[in-house]
Amino acid sequence: MTQVSEMTATALESQLIVGATLFVLGVIGFLTRRNLILIMLSAELMLHGVSINLTAFSRYHGNPQGQVFTIFVLTIAACEAGLGLSLILSLYQRRKSLDVLLWGKLGEDDLPVFTSPSNLPVQVPVDPNADYPHLSPSGRMPKTQPTTPTKT
Amino acid sequence: MEWTEENGLLLIPLGLGWLAVWLLMPSERKRPRILGGLAGLAAILIMQMMLLPPAGDLVRNALFFLFAAGSVISAALMITDRNPVYSALWFALVTLSVCGLFLLNSAPFLAAATIIVYAGAIIVTFLFVIMLAQQSGTIGNYDQQPLQPAMASLGAFILLGALLFTLQEWGHIGGPDASQHAMPGQFITVPVELQPNPLSQHPPDNPHEIGSLRVLGRSLFGDYLFAVELAGTVLLIATIGAIAIAPRRSQGTL
Amino acid sequence: MTDWLQENVLWLIPAAPLLACLWIVLVGHVIRRQYAHRPLVIGLAVALVASLYLLTVVVPHGFGHEHEPSHSVVTTVYQWIQIGTIDIPVKLRADAMSALMLTMVTSVSLLVAIFASSYMKGDPGYPRFFAAMALFVFSMCMLVLAGNFLLLFVFWEAVGLCSYLLIGFWFHKPSAAAAAKKAFVVNRIGDFGFILAIFLIWQTFGTLDFQTLFESPQRIAEVLKSQPEMFHWICLLLFVGAVGKSAQFPLQVWLPDAMEGPTPVSALIHAATMVTAGVYLVARCTPFFVHAPQVQMIVAGIGAATALIAAITALTQYDLKRVLAYSTVSQLGYMFMALGAAGGGAELAVPAVTFAMFHMFTHAFFKAVLFLSAGSVMHAMGDVIDMRRFSGLRKALPITHWTFLAGALALAGVPLLSGFWSKDEILAVLAAASRGSEHGGFYSVILGIALLTSLMTAFYTFRAYFMTFWGDEKFPEEAGHHPHDAPPAMAGPLAILAGAALVVGLISGPTHLYAHYLHHTPGFPEGHEFPMDWLMMGVSSVLAIGGIGVAYLMYVRSPKTAENLKNRLPIPFLVSNEGLFIDWCGYKFIASPLRGFAKVCELFDRWVIDTLVDCVGFIPALFGSVLRPIQNGMVQNYAMVMMIGLLVCLITVLRALAVTTSGTM
Repeated sequence: MTQVSEMTATALESQLIVGATLFVLGVIGFLTRRNLILIMLSAELMLHGVSINLTAFSRYHGNPQGQVFTIFVLTIAACEAGLGLSLILSLYQRRKSLDVLLWGKLGEDDLPVFTSPSNLPVQVPVDPNADYPHLSPSGRMPKTQPTTPTKT
Repeated sequence: MEWTEENGLLLIPLGLGWLAVWLLMPSERKRPRILGGLAGLAAILIMQMMLLPPAGDLVRNALFFLFAAGSVISAALMITDRNPVYSALWFALVTLSVCGLFLLNSAPFLAAATIIVYAGAIIVTFLFVIMLAQQSGTIGNYDQQPLQPAMASLGAFILLGALLFTLQEWGHIGGPDASQHAMPGQFITVPVELQPNPLSQHPPDNPHEIGSLRVLGRSLFGDYLFAVELAGTVLLIATIGAIAIAPRRSQGTL
Repeated sequence: MTDWLQENVLWLIPAAPLLACLWIVLVGHVIRRQYAHRPLVIGLAVALVASLYLLTVVVPHGFGHEHEPSHSVVTTVYQWIQIGTIDIPVKLRADAMSALMLTMVTSVSLLVAIFASSYMKGDPGYPRFFAAMALFVFSMCMLVLAGNFLLLFVFWEAVGLCSYLLIGFWFHKPSAAAAAKKAFVVNRIGDFGFILAIFLIWQTFGTLDFQTLFESPQRIAEVLKSQPEMFHWICLLLFVGAVGKSAQFPLQVWLPDAMEGPTPVSALIHAATMVTAGVYLVARCTPFFVHAPQVQMIVAGIGAATALIAAITALTQYDLKRVLAYSTVSQLGYMFMALGAAGGGAELAVPAVTFAMFHMFTHAFFKAVLFLSAGSVMHAMGDVIDMRRFSGLRKALPITHWTFLAGALALAGVPLLSGFWSKDEILAVLAAASRGSEHGGFYSVILGIALLTSLMTAFYTFRAYFMTFWGDEKFPEEAGHHPHDAPPAMAGPLAILAGAALVVGLISGPTHLYAHYLHHTPGFPEGHEFPMDWLMMGVSSVLAIGGIGVAYLMYVRSPKTAENLKNRLPIPFLVSNEGLFIDWCGYKFIASPLRGFAKVCELFDRWVIDTLVDCVGFIPALFGSVLRPIQNGMVQNYAMVMMIGLLVCLITVLRALAVTTSGTM
């Protein structure tokens, strides 16, 4: 694109509106979807909205700094995608599911599970790593079996 | 903040948009999806009418509206599609539309880079992961039951409303000033302490060359050299991290 | 030179057993466990030699009939407490009384240690036994040598601890653990009285040092002038301490149960040495007691009651060791009777204390030999001690038979044996007291009880003897086919002790050797020659022989008689067998209510205090339950919070913007 036309405030505003809309749609996706991959895609969508804002301002002010920042955003997005996907892969390997609700349990295994506010049915697959160590619940001393004295 | 008629008008597309997203969301119950689609289209149209500039480059405007509507519609479909593969493909379309907007904003290099990075690499990776994870092709029930779709979209649209109101306020109050300051081709005077490194000072770029590789490269490797190095380091660390986190072969791939 | 030697001998006596104890604990416990008795035997031998040397130096010039000037050997080992006017050094002090006591303690414990080296062979806790025993001898020596009341109290507690450790030696046996606990708890009551007495002494005299207290008559006279009632309280509380340690009524319940410990322990601690500490304490505090005749009457009364109760109980026991235990209690009662006889008149004070100490001295030997013989019987019978399950052992265990007979004769008070002399003197002093003008009636009753007890003593001792060694030969199946008599390491001490039981009285009784020696104790009032009471001698001889004769008739001549009598009189038999139900009463009226109170406390703790604590703990849980839903681990929730935050920020900025623009416009 060699021909650069003037950019009015109205044009900038409409670009910003598009960016905001994309951002908000990304937010909606992030908040509502339960698929780990879709959550990441929604995050990327939000980044797109931000990128549009940046380029629009860059065009409006006529300097390249906005575009430079978009390149950085691109870099970070690539990092995020790489790390996020490898995390998703290892999470998937644990539970054989991409459902994010399966990973909402912060407590110990022997504590009652906090039910999610939405009360959605969660399919909990059998945990193949059930025997990794965990803390025992603290509190009163457990009743021990009385040892019978040995008579000699 | 005074409540103007124009402000009130904004509520209509916002409400419609919320309705559209809510209706389009995957759900166990049957929902009138077509109604949702229609509501979404209406919302987009109303917004476009509200934003229609009094006069201007017709081709440019048409292209802008095409890309803008394309990206928004694709984004809406992406977040509402129950099949993650389709979602990823819709995301590809969003990326393409956004690249179109980049082109309109005289950023050809960015457009190319974004297509290469996103469409070429990220989305392909996503698709690989989706296909690895869902080899049976069946859609998990977690994809059909979103979390609190109505409340989340409502909150998000309130956020959008706030953003739009801000823009409108800016248009009313700051707009004229800003346009005075920032006439096309004019640089905003940056305070000295905020100016880039004086060692790499260079004469003001030709405004017609903003998106050109030369200007971009000079800025990147001149003013932002340090940041570029940092970004490279971050990329390296992310690569190492991804390799470290990814499941070992000994543990079995997926 | 002599002084130097005296002072160093003084600390050598307790130091030798202490070193033995440390050696066993640190080294003997790990290597050569089966030889763990050797350090103790060596240590005790050293201590015995040192005691004998002390015996010769404390009373220097071939003690004669005249009352020598007071003399005591003192050495300060360590400055323990020195705060302001409180000055309590670890001070060893030896006089005639402590020297005699030390000789008795070290000699008996040396013999018992040799006996135990064979008796305890093969026990898994062999080194532990000898370590505890060494600790006991150390504590006992320190108790005897203590130069002030606080040090005395410390080792008073230490011997209690050793007694606890040794009663509960077989701690895996529930009955032994319970008996140890009982002994410890019952002793606490007496110790409480003792420490109150110490406080009172401190308050009254401003010092706890024996030398200052007992060897300065003017100080006692001062207090006597200003607050004479103080002596009664001090003596009464001291006596409470003695009652606990010496198992007098009503705290005598712990001693029979203490027989759960190994038999050498019963012989050493619960017959010969530790239980006589109470007698020693009262005797040591004679300078106080002479000023409290009412308390001395209490002492005599309690002693008489104990002697009678224990003798009645001993009549029907079937457990050989229990018979001996009750006999010990009874004989301790005798000693207290003697001590109390001093209340009959000022001139009786010295003979009373002397004869109590003399009886303690002879009793240590013959009771030790009786217990050790009982241990030898147990050893041969495979740890069976119930006299109904064996009889006629005199052929199978000749040595044990003879030593037991010697001890029994001495205990019964057969003429010319040691028990005869000491018991006779006690009876004589009681008779003298009953002839006194004041309280004569009271002491007549005491004398009557003493005579009755003397008869019963002879009877039950020989009942045990005849049941065990006479009659048809019968072994329990635990004993195996051929019960073996005591091996040399056991027979040697038995023989020595038996010889001592026979002759020690004859040597030092009629010759007044012991009495004259004891008179050299500093602080003793001037004493007079106490005449032999031929009447009492005759009466006690008749009673002793009569008791033995009755026992012979009932258990050898016609063994049916005892059985018939038991069936004819079931209630008296039960009362006697159950020890007058004193234990039962103690359990019902003291232990059970206390247990109930403890239960109430436990409930209070569980339901009131625990609930309060739980309430405090519940407050964070309450906050947590309010805040926890926010931290539910769902990424989207966090994102939602972020979004709301963004919204709030945006709206705030918008409002601020609106305010500034409206302001400028």
